[in-house]
Amino acid sequence: MTTKPMTLLRSSRLVKASVAAAAFALTVSVAGCGAAGQETSGETRQFKADNGTVEIPQNPQRVVATGYAVPTLIEADAPLVGISSWQRGEPMMSDEDMKTYQDLPRVAGETAAETNYEAIAEQNPDLIVIGVPKPIFQEIDTERLESIAPVVAIGPDVPSAWKEVSRKQADAAGALERFDEGKREYEQKAEELKGKYADALDGLKLAHIGGYGEVENGNFQREFDGSWGTNVANDIGAEYYGQVSEKGEGSRAVSEYPSLEQLPSALKDAEAITYTVNADGSLPEAVKYVLDSNLWKNLPAVKKDMTFPVKYTEAATYGQATTALEALDETFAPLLKK
Amino acid sequence: MSTAPTQAGSAPPTRNAPSRIGRSAVLAGGLVALLAAIVASIAVGAESVPLGQIWPALTDFDPLSGDHLVVRDIRVPRTLLGIAVGAALAVAGALIQTLSRNPLAEPGILGVTHGAGFALTLGAALGLAGTALGELGLGVAGAVLATVLVYAVGRHSTLRLLLAGVALSAVLQGVSLGVRLTSPDTLDKYRFWSVGSLAGREQTDLTIPLVAIALALVGALLVARSLNAVALGETVAHTLGANVARVRTVTLVLITVLAGAATAVAGPILFVGLIVPHLLRRLTVGSVPWLVTLSMIVGPILMLAADTISRVVLHTGEVPVAIVTAFLGGPMLIWVVRRYGAGSL
Repeated sequence: MTTKPMTLLRSSRLVKASVAAAAFALTVSVAGCGAAGQETSGETRQFKADNGTVEIPQNPQRVVATGYAVPTLIEADAPLVGISSWQRGEPMMSDEDMKTYQDLPRVAGETAAETNYEAIAEQNPDLIVIGVPKPIFQEIDTERLESIAPVVAIGPDVPSAWKEVSRKQADAAGALERFDEGKREYEQKAEELKGKYADALDGLKLAHIGGYGEVENGNFQREFDGSWGTNVANDIGAEYYGQVSEKGEGSRAVSEYPSLEQLPSALKDAEAITYTVNADGSLPEAVKYVLDSNLWKNLPAVKKDMTFPVKYTEAATYGQATTALEALDETFAPLLKK
Repeated sequence: MSTAPTQAGSAPPTRNAPSRIGRSAVLAGGLVALLAAIVASIAVGAESVPLGQIWPALTDFDPLSGDHLVVRDIRVPRTLLGIAVGAALAVAGALIQTLSRNPLAEPGILGVTHGAGFALTLGAALGLAGTALGELGLGVAGAVLATVLVYAVGRHSTLRLLLAGVALSAVLQGVSLGVRLTSPDTLDKYRFWSVGSLAGREQTDLTIPLVAIALALVGALLVARSLNAVALGETVAHTLGANVARVRTVTLVLITVLAGAATAVAGPILFVGLIVPHLLRRLTVGSVPWLVTLSMIVGPILMLAADTISRVVLHTGEVPVAIVTAFLGGPMLIWVVRRYGAGSL
């Protein structure tokens, strides 16, 4: 009768000792992991992001980026250890950036729904930069991500916001130095072209046909100032007249989708029309639908041969935008002869 | 009330069937309504075209006039497409309901819709669906292959045929969904096709599917008399000397062509094939040829009315016509059931 309690007691002590040892081992292990991720990031700072004010490392060393943050942080030479897929930016990447993009581990697909939380955890990041617009951010399991590392959500609300957003992303990742170099390069080029085309673009009423029209619904995308297809051209003095008839959120604040029937009335006052083309110069299906119609051929600007293809309309970093500027210089060159 | 035919393929008028004069009046009324629907389809759209410009656009076309271009290049082709798709789906619905003697049967029950959807999903995943013509080809191929498979499994009885169609549709739908969920690009390409619409087709060469629909409609008129006998049941049909196997095969081919071509050019549009035969049931008692004829008129009326509504119902843009047909079709079906009782079903 007395042996049993003793056995139990011993057994209980043994279990406690084992649990304590295991807990210690786990603590050491976790601490070790934490140390690996934060060994050079002891100092922290408060950072204001779309998801609130977040305490992040002063000098992050292992950054995971998704969405729009991917091309920005690759260009800015941020210490990336994992990225989401970002196919739309691939045609605009330099060879060097493309190599970096291809070599980095994928931790998410093209959409927020394809976030692979385990893959992110495996990279042991000390900062996660989510570069998606606010409505999309809600699709992500933030709590799960925050259990891995500090999370900052920094995404554009409207297309032209990529400038501020990308700087903030680079700031969070501690990569402002290289970022600001790219920014200066872009601004310098934009200023140069602004002077070059000042006379040609002065007072010219422009309209833009975007690449996201819905052929299946018989409509086209018209983009106004500050949209994806226009914001870089805006920086060299191009002005896209008019505004959306009913403002929506995000890109719907600066672009709309009228029926193809409305093409003549929508663009009858346009003195020149730009339209989105793919990086290889081919027409996206939505743009081809417009350009193949007799309504297009009947527009005053088309009859005057005042139409201009625009490449790289999805530019969302200063590096990509500089490439877009060079393409714009090429496409607007005939304006100087008119 | 006698509904037994006096000879194979023809049924005598019943007490409830309209007289010859009554039928002529119904036909004339239907044609007037169809004309009104055509006029509305050509006159109404996102862009306001003055009514005075409609007739000149058709008879004295000015290629420099934006109004004339809207009418000739967009609305007329779209109206013709609406007529063809409406007639095809309605007649396909009348044929499948008569053949299967199942009032809830609709053209897609043989796997046509999901076959086309599966082919388009697969094509998008493999990068084969880049153009409108390519999508058309994929849709037709998927519809035909699905029907051939269903027919191979269930050709011995109508019930097996329907069950095979339902089963294959479920499988194809599931596989398609799986492909789309694992491939965002495919989902993106497919999402617009997944809701039927008549918009944006005016630049695609639709000669082949439209000719196929026209020929199949003629075929439906020709087979309708024989189908009268089959509609009474196989035993009775055999007794009356009808070649049931041949009639069934020809009818299935016609249903496949009609529904497959309509689905390929416009995407999946439900309810038209289901509701039109029900709307006409009381007017066409005991006469499949009459049912097929009126379906060719009322199907386009419903489709054009729905398409016209789809252009103006929202001030922010068009709604796919399949959504409007679903909104119209649901209440109409309920009305038919309440008006004529479950017997009509």
